[in-house]
Amino acid sequence: MAFSFAALDRRIVYGLVLLCLALPIIFEYSLPPSRMKAADKLYQLVEAIPPGPGKIALLAFDFGPSTRAENEVQAEVLMEHLMRRRVPVAVFSLYPQAVDFLDAIPKRLAKKLTSEMPGERWEYGVDWVNLGYRAGTALFIQSIPKAENLAEVFGKDAEGTRLSDLPAFKGIKDFKQIVLVGEVTGLAGMFNLYVQFFQSAEYIPPLVHGCTSITIPEAYNYLDSGQLKGLLEGLAGAAWYSELLEVANPARTLDSAPMRNTATGIGHMIIIALVLLGNLSAIAVRFRSKKA
Amino acid sequence: MTPDSWQLATILVGGVATIAIYSFLIKENSLYRFFEHLFIGIAAGYGPVYAIRTNLWPRILEPMLGLDIMHFPDGTVSHSYNPLLMLYLVPMLFGMLYYFIYSRRFSWLAKLVIGFSLGASAGLTFKGFFAEIIPQIVTSFRPLVVFEGENLLGMESFSNTVFIVTLLSVMYYFFFSFRVSGKVDKGISFTGRWLMMTCFGAYFGSTVMARMALLVERLEFLIIDWWGALGGIINSTVA
Repeated sequence: MAFSFAALDRRIVYGLVLLCLALPIIFEYSLPPSRMKAADKLYQLVEAIPPGPGKIALLAFDFGPSTRAENEVQAEVLMEHLMRRRVPVAVFSLYPQAVDFLDAIPKRLAKKLTSEMPGERWEYGVDWVNLGYRAGTALFIQSIPKAENLAEVFGKDAEGTRLSDLPAFKGIKDFKQIVLVGEVTGLAGMFNLYVQFFQSAEYIPPLVHGCTSITIPEAYNYLDSGQLKGLLEGLAGAAWYSELLEVANPARTLDSAPMRNTATGIGHMIIIALVLLGNLSAIAVRFRSKKA
Repeated sequence: MTPDSWQLATILVGGVATIAIYSFLIKENSLYRFFEHLFIGIAAGYGPVYAIRTNLWPRILEPMLGLDIMHFPDGTVSHSYNPLLMLYLVPMLFGMLYYFIYSRRFSWLAKLVIGFSLGASAGLTFKGFFAEIIPQIVTSFRPLVVFEGENLLGMESFSNTVFIVTLLSVMYYFFFSFRVSGKVDKGISFTGRWLMMTCFGAYFGSTVMARMALLVERLEFLIIDWWGALGGIINSTVA
């Protein structure tokens, strides 16, 4: 009896995909990522921000464990670039499940950068501030552009320290001092809040976005219209951004984005091959049954 | 428990939970169902508790009750109490009227809150819609032939033409006010439908990509973190 893919146990397919995805991780192998134009734009935008105090970049990590696979590496590469540029960063989230990332990512990056450049230090309160989880979603976002004093609107950091006591917020009052807003999320409707409400009549801060693969087609609309100034498209965007950081800083310790991107690429090729084989097999079976 | 051993325990439990959830791929089983319920329960409980701990208590209740004022040994205080903070009670009490939804006699009080919420949401949505959509409508007006100086930009022109054809044919597909009868009408409608199919294909492809990324991250966790932690325990036990 002739073999048909339709009769193949689905668990064999799962096992095959699992094995192919695991190989690059086991051997820690990564291929050079493809160039992503939108990630390039984001990189150039960050490069153009002059370093030093008197300004702040806001990064919203609105993701939880369900999308950390893509969003965590995006948040890491973007924040790493800002920290390398010595642009003070304030991280916060409108999503309660993100709180661990708000604490862990900057600390991990500070440790990584300090070990890479032993003479330099990245300190909490100076280089970054954790504003913690903020309730109120749209209402909270709306309140920021209206603020006469940003430190007063945010009040205290996640540990309860008044922001006016932290060096990163010294001299930060006006909404126009926000030089970049980065929204890293995979949640439907969360990113739109920033497009809709994070603006005043006089000023719209450059908005950049790290999205999951599912929302890439949707995010392109905003990139096309100029509402987004840069975009990290899933793992591929993060891997390319990581590559750009690598080229600019050869001593940099590699993150996991390129390896994950390689594994995902191999997974896609397996799926394409299986879809083609499945279809060819189905056509062959139909052809044979017609002949018979 | 030291932070290190706490982290180790987290990794070990995380690995077991991941394998239990993926065991569904082999067969529906009770281990999978246990961890599924555990996840749902944790996710449901985590949000409200965190909102109380990080927002309601430290940002509203603590300052309102004056509990955030620090008294120093020399008799001075960190800051004086602001009696206007008691005004927080007004929206809080108004919001709590929602609970009258459980009373037949006073359920009309809950309707006040629902009406207020609906009105506020409608206002926000109205404002947000314009801020989000108008720039996109503006950028949809594009030239079909793009020049840079005297040079024709072929790719740009092609891209803009595809965009305009897609926009118009898809919009035409959704005109239900009159019957589509002529060959041209049907052709445009047909084009719109196929272009939408292409778009859905792109969405489906990107969904597969996202699911694959999730699997890769879990595999990385299992192979590097979990297996590494497990190996460390086995080695230390043997030694």
